[in-house]
Amino acid sequence: MGVMDFLMQGFQTAIQPQNLFFAFIGVLIGTAVGVLPGIGPMSGVALLIPVTATLTGGMEPSAAATSSIILLAGVYYGAMYGGSTTSILLNTPGESSSVVTTLDGFQMAKQGRAGAALSIAAIGSFVAGIVSIVGLALLANPLSEMALKFGPAEYFSLMLLGLAAVSGLAGSSITKAWMMTVTGLLLATVGIDAVSGVARFTYDIPVLFGGLEFLTVAVGLFALGEVFKTILHKEDDAENIAKVGRVIPSKQDFKESAAPIARGSILGFFVGVLPGAGATLASFFSYIAEKKISKTPEKFGKGAIAGVAAPESANNAASGGAMIPLLTLGIPGSGTTAILMGALIMYNIQPGPLLFSDHPDVAWGLIASMFIGNLMLLILNMPLVKVFAKIIETPPKYLLPIIIAISVFGVYAVQVTTFDLYLLIGFGLAGYLLAKNDYPLAPLVLGLVLGPMIENNMRRALTTSNGDFMVFIQHPISAIFLICSVLWILIPFLLKLKGKDVVVNVEG
Amino acid sequence: MKKAKWKNWLLAGLLVPSLTACSTSGSGSSTAGDPEYPKKAITVVAPSGAGGGWDLTARSLTKVLGETKLVDQTMTVENKPGGGGAVYLAEYATQHKKDDYKLYVNSPPILINNLKKEGNSPYGYKDTTPLAQLTKDFGAIVVKDDSKYNSLKELMDAVKKDPKSVTAAGGSAPGSMDHLVAVLPAYKSDIDPKSVKYVSYDGGGEAIAALLGGNADYIATDASAVGEYLKAGKVKVLGISSTERLKGDLADVPTFKEEGIDADFTIWRGVFGPKEMSESAKEYWGKKLKDLNDSKEWQAELERNGWEAEFKDAEEFKSFLEDQEKQVEDLLKSLGMNK
Repeated sequence: MGVMDFLMQGFQTAIQPQNLFFAFIGVLIGTAVGVLPGIGPMSGVALLIPVTATLTGGMEPSAAATSSIILLAGVYYGAMYGGSTTSILLNTPGESSSVVTTLDGFQMAKQGRAGAALSIAAIGSFVAGIVSIVGLALLANPLSEMALKFGPAEYFSLMLLGLAAVSGLAGSSITKAWMMTVTGLLLATVGIDAVSGVARFTYDIPVLFGGLEFLTVAVGLFALGEVFKTILHKEDDAENIAKVGRVIPSKQDFKESAAPIARGSILGFFVGVLPGAGATLASFFSYIAEKKISKTPEKFGKGAIAGVAAPESANNAASGGAMIPLLTLGIPGSGTTAILMGALIMYNIQPGPLLFSDHPDVAWGLIASMFIGNLMLLILNMPLVKVFAKIIETPPKYLLPIIIAISVFGVYAVQVTTFDLYLLIGFGLAGYLLAKNDYPLAPLVLGLVLGPMIENNMRRALTTSNGDFMVFIQHPISAIFLICSVLWILIPFLLKLKGKDVVVNVEG
Repeated sequence: MKKAKWKNWLLAGLLVPSLTACSTSGSGSSTAGDPEYPKKAITVVAPSGAGGGWDLTARSLTKVLGETKLVDQTMTVENKPGGGGAVYLAEYATQHKKDDYKLYVNSPPILINNLKKEGNSPYGYKDTTPLAQLTKDFGAIVVKDDSKYNSLKELMDAVKKDPKSVTAAGGSAPGSMDHLVAVLPAYKSDIDPKSVKYVSYDGGGEAIAALLGGNADYIATDASAVGEYLKAGKVKVLGISSTERLKGDLADVPTFKEEGIDADFTIWRGVFGPKEMSESAKEYWGKKLKDLNDSKEWQAELERNGWEAEFKDAEEFKSFLEDQEKQVEDLLKSLGMNK
């Protein structure tokens, strides 16, 4: 049987009434999980496992497994849809993968274009979802082989490319962007080093062993920083209350975001396939890439719709891509997919090389249900945009306490330590002071994400090669990434030397 | 009808703990304890986020204890992540040492974290009351299907000859469980464990990916996680750290001992109470956990999760922990990573 036959069979499974119901419940809860900053996709899925176990209790094992995984996967990609909402409206990223959406999304909301931003995020997510499912159905096997070829050397070079591209997140000054990047890299070293097992900057305080939580830092810098700014600069308020403009994006919006959505979907899908890279990186990479190829890079950070469309498509596509190593290899690429895998094992279905031959009904039923689920999400989300967009019209005296409450609740729900609340407030103050002095915050956050990946993979590669640095050049994929990184930094300078009028990020 | 009942039950659940809270706080110092234990809801703490092994154990435990009506009081699971369990253990050992209503789930890291130098947890199992071991798993030494090593002995000979030529990998940092399992056969084959080239990945899944992708020569991981790859013909399992052969998919795999390596290592999961737990609570859980293990619901739950049953009561568990502590200490010493 070919892929098409299997897929048709999958659709037969997926359109059974109970499975349609499970898919709907899944994406509905997923949207809520995405909107509420407290619960990420990971804890959302974990907490629902016992519930689905009860719901599917009376069914035969294989059908029960299919139904539950349809529901749980719905929560997973539904959360990617919903994650953009608070980023755009409140500058409060609900998930780490929607941090970069705050950059342009919140600016758009301030300009009264919240409706357009939310709609484009939903449409982009939908397109990306479909792209990634097609990829999953057609390319699962070759891609899982490719993902395995990615060793530490390849990861190191890919992450280095991400770091080289950090200038894409700079505001007016490249120097300041690099300062923030290095600060992020430094903060990332706190905790028990995964490669040597040595504790760094922990001062024997157990709460620091695990390092600084990325989401705490991001919510502090972006959300609380904005709150402090609004409180301390009261005089701006009068003009700053944004009106909700039209909800449906204009023709111009569609034109500007079509290509970014397409590129974000494909880029996000491939990054998602790599275990350990994940949706957060996918969203950062696609944002940076868009800014680089845009004809109007100066608009980014000031409310460019491409800056919302690309990362939101990318993080959704990544969640589809992440299903590939999970289903074909039994290797979860992220915390959430690890939990999905645990759920399948509970039903005696072991994801891995044998899944597609041993349990084709489960695998293809899931893939088909993802098509349906994505459609449901689009239909569900478009009317909600109107409702959510109203939030922006709330006067600051109500809105600010809500943002603080959501931030505190969100961070505590994930970390369950008061330490992280102090950290949150600390980074909130830092975020305010830095933003006030024109230091871009995104590079810091990116440094924090990339730091451990660059460092650990570099040292893994070097341990394997007995300290020989040539390993990074001998692996062809790694070499290509390295060449790209070098070009990324050099080309603007070379063009400038040739007398062309290129902006090399002039000092502010 | 049903709804009203639910409400009453909820109300009772709310009132009872608040009333008893006043009385127990004063009498907590007596170690004899309350003969009517337990009188309020019980919390089982998983010192990790939702979804990990500790969390699943805690959730299965509370679920089956409730379903089988072995425990009448409500039992809830609390997640207290941080520091590989060290963060909550510090709180448990200091602030809750008399709280009979808080149980704690853990596994070998409770020993390892307490003994290793880096990222040390100042508290260990001695700051708790071990109640029972519930499950067991073992370490496995795994190579790729086309690897030139066909036995643990061949692999160890290669490491002995040139440690630089063989890359070992595992899903956790040096000085933690996968690393100890990876170097255990080397240590017992008179190879300096420090010379074993160990690369740590972020979780067992990434370690297997590294093996399949040719980025590691062998990996140490949980035996329960490799069955599927073995069946698919992607890997060879060279040895298991159990004392006897396992059943099921891994029945053909020799133990370390069969391969002439005098070592074993059990990856257990167990339940702990607070250090100064009252006698009546200790007695209560001793009996209830034994009954749990005998119930067919629990056996079914274990099977569903792919866990192997191994029950040790408080006494056996404690003496087992003492033995394993010595073993871990020896290994860490040989690695120069002990406290």
